Amino acid sequence: MTAAMLDDPSRVNSPDSPWAVETHGLTKRFADNVAVNGVELLVPRGCAFGYLGPNGAGKTTLIRVLLGLTHADAGTMSLLGISVPRHRDLALARVGAIVDEPRFHGHLTGRQNLQILAAARERAARGRIDVSLERVGMAQRADDRVSKYSMGMRQRLGVAACLLGDPQLLILDEPMNGLDPAGMHEMRDMIQSLVAEGRTVMLSSHLLDEVERTCDAVAIVDNGKVIRQGPIAELLAGASVEVHVVCASPERAGALLAGTALGAHVEVEASGLSIHLPAGTGRDAIAEINRLLVEDGIAVYRLEEIQVSLESWFLQVTSRLGESS
Amino acid sequence: MTSVPATGASSDRVEDARESRDHRGSWIPTGSMITSRIMELRKRRGLMAALIVVNIGIPTIFLTVRLIAHAVAPTSYGPAGGYDVFTELVAGIMYVFGFIVAATLGCTAGSVDLSEGMFRHLVITGRSRLALYFARIPAGLAIIVPMVAAGFTIVCAVCVFAAPTKLVFDGINVPAGLSQTGLVNWAAHHPKEVDCGFGYNGPGGVPCFINQHGKIVIPPGTPGFTQVSTTKLRAQAVVIATQDYADYSRTFLYPSTSLMVKTGLWIELEAVIGFIVGLGLASLMGQRTVAVVLMIVLEIILTPIFSRTAIPHLINAQRGIVGLAMAHLEPGGLPQAFGGGGGNAAAQLVPESTTIAVCVIVAWLVGWTALGAWRMARRDA
Repeated sequence: MTAAMLDDPSRVNSPDSPWAVETHGLTKRFADNVAVNGVELLVPRGCAFGYLGPNGAGKTTLIRVLLGLTHADAGTMSLLGISVPRHRDLALARVGAIVDEPRFHGHLTGRQNLQILAAARERAARGRIDVSLERVGMAQRADDRVSKYSMGMRQRLGVAACLLGDPQLLILDEPMNGLDPAGMHEMRDMIQSLVAEGRTVMLSSHLLDEVERTCDAVAIVDNGKVIRQGPIAELLAGASVEVHVVCASPERAGALLAGTALGAHVEVEASGLSIHLPAGTGRDAIAEINRLLVEDGIAVYRLEEIQVSLESWFLQVTSRLGESS
Repeated sequence: MTSVPATGASSDRVEDARESRDHRGSWIPTGSMITSRIMELRKRRGLMAALIVVNIGIPTIFLTVRLIAHAVAPTSYGPAGGYDVFTELVAGIMYVFGFIVAATLGCTAGSVDLSEGMFRHLVITGRSRLALYFARIPAGLAIIVPMVAAGFTIVCAVCVFAAPTKLVFDGINVPAGLSQTGLVNWAAHHPKEVDCGFGYNGPGGVPCFINQHGKIVIPPGTPGFTQVSTTKLRAQAVVIATQDYADYSRTFLYPSTSLMVKTGLWIELEAVIGFIVGLGLASLMGQRTVAVVLMIVLEIILTPIFSRTAIPHLINAQRGIVGLAMAHLEPGGLPQAFGGGGGNAAAQLVPESTTIAVCVIVAWLVGWTALGAWRMARRDA
């Protein structure tokens, strides 16, 4: 993959592509540091897509490359089926984005800042200013100077700026930053309403709980590489199963289960057992645990399958990577 | 990867964008981009205040004080306007400080999008980065050019309408607009004023003094003069008037229309250069403060130094300084800026042809615009 591929004219635009974002072998280096390392990313259209990763994983750099804020060193990419950077003007016409902390001219009002941004877009964008401000709940403060805005208000103004272009794709970098709980709730509702309108929302966030509530699919990035991607339900289904057992004689129970063919990793605790079953293990295995314990005369007081959260799965995936490296 | 099916509810607007023909990839800015940029600059109160104070406020206050002083005590304070006031104000204040504030405006226009985080938002619109850069040029000029014109118009108006009614030449009231013959005839009828007031550099001068009765007297012991005849005084006055006519012909009650037009264009060009170079430099550097400092250094330190010191081995480099080229284009009739111009090529330490001066100015305008645009197009946002 060479940098020349980025502008390969033979890559025909395909607006009917099912992918809102598509990258192949995308690479961005800063001197010796490879911030984005051959990323293969497919973001389906019409969904909320979470882009997750630890600090320094290359999330924001990838977004900056996608938006033409910085140049890629190698690879190909397209937005809404249109190859960029070759046709970035066409592609970005229907893309709205917030990258890092949204900043504006502090001496101007929110409305005046949007007027500047609308002027750089198509003529119709000017007519969307009031609607956008209304939608993000900033209509009442639109004529105040931005220097008086809180972080959360600037975040909302950033989203309003995204909406000026009537975007098919919104790329939001940490959109929940600076928002209070009510604001986060409103933001979540707004993202879901945008998706309900058929738009695609790609958001990066550290707030995994919020991502799990908001997004349909996610990609996990670490060390500049996408290591997992897909619908959240499918990804979590592939995670290991955790079962918590409260029983008599935890040590005897642990020794019993460790010797079975269940492949369980058993941790003995004071009140019982914490059992990790391999990914893909069915619910029958849980019944089998109960049967083995009861037949051995161990009283079982409680047996609970712990639902794997996106956060715990994220930690599993990233820590596994850490061990392997 | 298993895909989440697209809803398909949204119409595909990529084709719409293709058909909207908003020329988003074009390097030519739209009218609305320019007007919004004007609005952004105009709302910077501190900057606008500085521009107004320097271009309009200082000349206005200066002339107002002179008007009041002359009205209150006309014998102690001369008229507010006139040719001398015009030349001193224009070449002394409006030229140098106009350049600096124009450069400050250019540096601001070239750097604030980046420093205030708006550049990123603008790039994400898909608009050509060159168009984003070029929108700043007409926007900035739309502010600085009228402002310089307003200040200059005030100066011209006061200097013409509040000009002295009598021409003062070498401290003597002389009728304005005389031909050489007219001046000589006037001198023959006013030998005392001419002999004792006009400057003279030649043989046979009359070493006169005026006594308490207003009579010309010859100091005792002056060799060659024991008695001053009226004829001799008149003859000497004619000689002096003939010699001084060249200086007299460059002394006016008020600036001519031609001089005002040329001078107006000249200081407008200086302001345009300050703005364009400041814009390019700040875009190149990505910050305002250092760029403004460099522009001030160029205008009030480097340009005067290189205009007053001819370095034989660097003479062509000296010719490349835009301030020297501008001094060369200075209208005749103004005090020489930086030792050059003033329509007096012989007085220039760094001589250059008008063609070269024009080429230097064009090169500065085009070169700095190209550098700024190139950096804008290549910069990480």
